[in-house]
Amino acid sequence: MTSSQTRELVADRREQYAFHDDIAYLRETKRGLTRETVEEISAIKAEPDWMLQSRLRAYDHFLKRPMPMWTDGLDKIDFDKIVYYRKPSEREEKSWDDVPDQIKATFERLGIPEAERKFLAGVGAQYDSEVVYHSVKEELSKLGVVFMGTDQALKEYPEIFRKHYGTVVPHEDNKFSALNGAVWSGGSFVYVPKGVEVPLPLQAYFRINGENTGQFERTLIVVEEGAMVHYIEGCTAPIYATDSLHVAVVEVVALPGSKVRYTTIQNWSNDVYNLVTKRAHAHTNAKVEWIDANTGSRKTVKFPSIYLRGEGASADIISVAVAGKGQHQDTGAKAIHLAPNTTSRIVSKSVSKDGGRATYRGHLKVSPGATGVVASVRCDALMLDDESRSDTYPYIDIQEDDTTMTHEATVGKISAEQIFYLMSRGLTENEAQNLVIQGFLEVFTKELPMEYAIEFNRLVKLEMEGSLG
Amino acid sequence: MTSSSAPAGEATTAARPRPVRRAAGDLPFTFADRDLALALASERAEPDWLQDDRVAAWQAFDAMPVESNQLYTPYVDLRAAVLDRIQPWIQTASGPEAGTITDLPDDVDALIEVREDRVVGLALSPAATAAGVVLETFGAALTRDPDGFRADIEGGGTLPADDKLAQLVRGFWSQGVRVVIPDGVHLVRPIVVRWRSGNPGRAMLTRTLVHLGAGAQATLVEEQLPSGADVDCAEGETVPQGFFHGTTEVILEADARLAAASIQDLGERQVAFQHRHARIGNGASLHWAMAQLGGRLVRSRVDNRLEGDRSSVEQVEIVFGTGEQLFDLTSYTRHLGRDTTGNLLSKGALSDRSRVYMKGLITIEKSAVGTDSYLGEFGMNLSRAARAVAIPSLEIDQPDCRRAMHSSSVGPIDSNQLFYLESRGISPDDARKFIVLGFLEPVVARVPLEAAQVRLRELLEAKWAAGMAGTAPGAAGAAA
Repeated sequence: MTSSQTRELVADRREQYAFHDDIAYLRETKRGLTRETVEEISAIKAEPDWMLQSRLRAYDHFLKRPMPMWTDGLDKIDFDKIVYYRKPSEREEKSWDDVPDQIKATFERLGIPEAERKFLAGVGAQYDSEVVYHSVKEELSKLGVVFMGTDQALKEYPEIFRKHYGTVVPHEDNKFSALNGAVWSGGSFVYVPKGVEVPLPLQAYFRINGENTGQFERTLIVVEEGAMVHYIEGCTAPIYATDSLHVAVVEVVALPGSKVRYTTIQNWSNDVYNLVTKRAHAHTNAKVEWIDANTGSRKTVKFPSIYLRGEGASADIISVAVAGKGQHQDTGAKAIHLAPNTTSRIVSKSVSKDGGRATYRGHLKVSPGATGVVASVRCDALMLDDESRSDTYPYIDIQEDDTTMTHEATVGKISAEQIFYLMSRGLTENEAQNLVIQGFLEVFTKELPMEYAIEFNRLVKLEMEGSLG
Repeated sequence: MTSSSAPAGEATTAARPRPVRRAAGDLPFTFADRDLALALASERAEPDWLQDDRVAAWQAFDAMPVESNQLYTPYVDLRAAVLDRIQPWIQTASGPEAGTITDLPDDVDALIEVREDRVVGLALSPAATAAGVVLETFGAALTRDPDGFRADIEGGGTLPADDKLAQLVRGFWSQGVRVVIPDGVHLVRPIVVRWRSGNPGRAMLTRTLVHLGAGAQATLVEEQLPSGADVDCAEGETVPQGFFHGTTEVILEADARLAAASIQDLGERQVAFQHRHARIGNGASLHWAMAQLGGRLVRSRVDNRLEGDRSSVEQVEIVFGTGEQLFDLTSYTRHLGRDTTGNLLSKGALSDRSRVYMKGLITIEKSAVGTDSYLGEFGMNLSRAARAVAIPSLEIDQPDCRRAMHSSSVGPIDSNQLFYLESRGISPDDARKFIVLGFLEPVVARVPLEAAQVRLRELLEAKWAAGMAGTAPGAAGAAA
């Protein structure tokens, strides 16, 4: 197999979704980040004082905290060039018809309405920094399920919001959680009351528009005892000449006996730095699943984490990364066992091609007192050509004597024997390669709802499946 | 935080003075400076190039952090080392001429024993001498073979350039041992290099250079042992720690084969740093078997550079930790040639509050087509407070590999195995012992010298008996 054939095989389809609308922004901050920027954002949003103070505390920490050195290239981010807040529409729209036409056109090209019509329980679409469109199916509202923009939730559900905000990812966690804490805007808020099972996935689209726009959404998901929810987010972004920054924080609180699944398909354009802190607290007997795919961005640094805080909690993380030309996917997973009889499973699959670099970085920790832990980590990497690179850095820190932990990692290329075998059954070489890659990633795709898997095909740049029907 | 900010209640209960609070990655000593490098060179009347080499090493040492690899900075902990007043040996003897010690054991072909600042024994068998095998101190090498010695070590190519502690020993070594096996020579019986260290308050920095010519074959047994019985102090006083820092620098020319075994059983107040570095040529192969038993804090780094096509390395390492011991083990395997093979296995059995960090990085360079590389890290925690950290990593620039994988596991003693043994009438204590020693046995079996193998088994049994007997759950006097 030559690398040019490989390139043809997994052709980049991102251009199709890369478009840039000229929106007249109603309100935006000056480039760069100062204390005044933070105060201005808070003032525009008419926030309560505690949130302003919280933002300022995060801002101070952001200044103090050194840039992480364990991954490279972050020093290329010019924080002074970024616009930290931009507001494309004055208020959150209730109905699709009220959404401004230009924005609506953008979403229609992404297929949101069909997705909603067909399958989804609700759509929250983020266009730059504010949530402009939201709907939650009526029956869910009746059940008391809240699905709205995070800013709106701060106003409408201040008690729930304040109780949980920043408890899973404190501002002081890392430099980028501090940055998000200072300038966050938008994101989704989900609240599922005790015992309620949300029957269909809740879905939000996030898009960046506007050159040098930083998007700093903050997502908070609180799932009460015995409740269940599946949340899906997917992203595309227009391509720009200069770098964009996406720094999100996602907090999930899974209270005792609850079940939360969070699915992400990340397909930012190749100029975006995607630096995301996403973490869940799994309380007693709660079950949390991160299904995380990263195909876009220039550089993604994201390690979905689950802190197993209550006895019997379980964690399941599936992380998929595809690194193409000029990309570095520094992704992975963390499972931190803090309570007895907790279980975790991490499966990571990465594909690197055309000089891309895929890094798995993971942390599995079993703290003193967390007896009876069962944990497994599996990382597989596929490299499609000689220019690409794959790294695997798992950290495994066991501090209990009755932990059962296994870890395995393999890196390789598509085996000539597999291709030969499939071709001998009448497949072309391209079909054979597609089939092998499809099989390699199946652990991820089989976790997606079928309609969403179709959307995944449209959004994700790789033509890895489908050619065989 | 300063010591004066400690709560008042704590100050009154502190019976012994606490060491100055240090960051986990701070060096525990300050002796290494330019003057010492110059003093060592002048004391030994070293040629200019060697003095310059020491100074260059000091400069590199001075410029680097203890851990330069960002992957591992969270797992550096030198706080157990209290060496602030440690003094290195400066004086050194070139050592006795070969043959002055006659009691060479029958089953070895060469032996050198260095105790603190003295060479106490050096002997070569007639067969080895006849074959042109050389075992000498660095001092003797400077006189006998100045050019060959210079070619081997000048510029620090046999030690990692990016490692502060490797540069420490390159700049400040006081004892060196050189082994040369000429082209084509097959030495049947092992060469024993025995280091004895443990003088309280003393730093012993040593280098071992092993150079095998094309097609040569040899086995090496390296022992790191206490220099004397443990010293006791008057009640309330603490015996100062000792410091041993040794290298094994291996050069394997084409088709050379070396089996190197190491047994580290230093005293419980010893801090030990180790560097092993191998440059492996075309078709050459290297087998490491390393056992870590002793020491208070042991920090070891192995660099395997598979430079030649078809070169291979096999490495097995075991740790048996008790008490407060900390073993910090790193291995770097770099595949550069075509069709190279790496097979690395680390195993740790840990009781009490002992800890092991097993850090391993396989790097497959673009040039390394056809690589087969495996790294395994396995821990067995025998007590609640023991801790095993496994960080097996891969960095791959060349996808055309036969195999690139690592695996690791950490777990307790398998209860099914225990049940089976106990059902055969074996006591819980013995069953645990058999399982743990069996877990470590793959390394013991690879020690090339029968006598050393037997002694290693005895050491493991003795360590078990001292630290572990009676700790089986339900056994009388079970420890926490």
